[in-house]
Amino acid sequence: MTPSTILRRHALAALARERTIALVAALFAALVLVSAYLGWSATSTVDAIYASATHWFEANGKPVPPNPVTQGSPLALLRNLTIYISLIGAFSAIVIGYRMVETDRRAGVLPLIGARPLERLDYARGKVSALALAVGGLAALAGVVGAATLAILPSVHLGPGDWARLAAFFSLGWLYMMIFGLIAIGASARARSETVGLMVPTVVWLVLTFVWPALTGNILPTAAINPISALAPAPQSAIFDLSANLLGPFSLAEAYKYLGAELMGYLPDGLPPRGPVPPLVVMMLFAAGSGLYALRGCLKLDMTKGGPDA
Amino acid sequence: MQTDTPAVSTRGLTLNYGEFTALQPLDLDIGRGEIFGFLGHNGAGKTTTIRLLTTLMDPSGGTASVAGCDLAHNRIALRRAIGYLPENVRLYDTLTTRENLRFFAALSRIEDARDRVEEVMEFLGITDLADRRIATFSKGMRQRVGLAQAIVHRPQVLFLDEPTSGLDPMGVRQLREVLERLNGQGMTIFMNTHLLSEVARSCSSIGVLSHGQLVFHDTIETVNARYGSEEALEELYLSVVPDREVAA
Repeated sequence: MTPSTILRRHALAALARERTIALVAALFAALVLVSAYLGWSATSTVDAIYASATHWFEANGKPVPPNPVTQGSPLALLRNLTIYISLIGAFSAIVIGYRMVETDRRAGVLPLIGARPLERLDYARGKVSALALAVGGLAALAGVVGAATLAILPSVHLGPGDWARLAAFFSLGWLYMMIFGLIAIGASARARSETVGLMVPTVVWLVLTFVWPALTGNILPTAAINPISALAPAPQSAIFDLSANLLGPFSLAEAYKYLGAELMGYLPDGLPPRGPVPPLVVMMLFAAGSGLYALRGCLKLDMTKGGPDA
Repeated sequence: MQTDTPAVSTRGLTLNYGEFTALQPLDLDIGRGEIFGFLGHNGAGKTTTIRLLTTLMDPSGGTASVAGCDLAHNRIALRRAIGYLPENVRLYDTLTTRENLRFFAALSRIEDARDRVEEVMEFLGITDLADRRIATFSKGMRQRVGLAQAIVHRPQVLFLDEPTSGLDPMGVRQLREVLERLNGQGMTIFMNTHLLSEVARSCSSIGVLSHGQLVFHDTIETVNARYGSEEALEELYLSVVPDREVAA
């Protein structure tokens, strides 16, 4: 086993024993289930009403209109997942990323690891890959719940293309959560105090989720937590034209929601992306930037510090 | 187990924090198989010296080698050759003794990690703690597990930073016995300490650091021959350490 593999396995084992992580993961799972239930419930209700209406139309010899459920993308019934991933999913990734380094620092083992025959790059690799797997677990959990929900609805039939788009959506969710987890690793490695290590990624997350969309497209916080209203076009004004062009390329949450809606098939017709940079490019740039930040943080980590008072 | 190459050798090893010099150019040779006691007041630079020699910090100047491995150019080999026990070691609270030791043994890249962990636990008399979580341990128990992680990979040179800090007299005695056994197996021990009595009993050579400067370095035989008793060692210590904070 390479040092990074040892560190990865150890970090995952330590995470699995942490109550905070278990609580956050349970909360995420619960919200994913709620999201799936809401989608299932709404679709089942429409199905039931449609079935009654069909009987009435047939009894009166009138033509039966098509089922509205089958008119839109079947994946759209999971649209609330986009919001839950951007909220509790991203926050879970922050907590996981933060704990990656902080657990070692609090345990006072950084000097013990630093005096071992491994490079700092091995440490960084181990932590980042552990984060990738832990966040992958969250994304997989959401994926399984989502797929199961779609599979049990009788009126929903997914083709291979739909399943591929669903898989792409959860990969996108994984990438989005990873960005915040990586920022948390970098911040906790660089910060001089535990509080700052957690505050930095949390503030970045809040700003990107709630403040930036308000500046680029007048998407207020209450609208930002709704999958449909978060995709409203920006007001037609010189100020918003300017802010969308200037700030749009940094609007990560909007880029994610745009791509999510596109994959799940509920993107409003003709809605342009926010700003001049394509949303996928925005996500890739953020992923690269946060990866470098985490890497730099681990490479510059002060291995002499440790213990509860560090 | 004396050989030609010293276990620890430094030439002009220095550490500056901006204008402040934490360690003035240090020239020091410690032979293989020695138990070296590094004395000095709080803030003298003892911990800094250990951190430099264990590659946890980068020096501002000078050169050093440990177990024949150059500090600047052969860091991985150097780390393979050393063990380190910091002051107030804590370890992973949520893991058991065995899990902690297996983790550090694996990181040290030793082939017989599992067997070696059992061997070290037996050597240190902590087999009964193997499946207990560290969170429930006293200071003395943690110290023993900490020492176990420091020797699990059979290092040539063992660095200990205030290993007796917070231990009761029984713990100090047990530690001394363990160190003597390790030294008997050929391990060189570099120990920062405040306890002159421990230095007098355990060490084969001593160095005194004051305000970042090595002010005394000689063998314990020479010190004993010249000063004769533990009280005299205290007199020596007080005479070479300037008037400011003195810990003994």
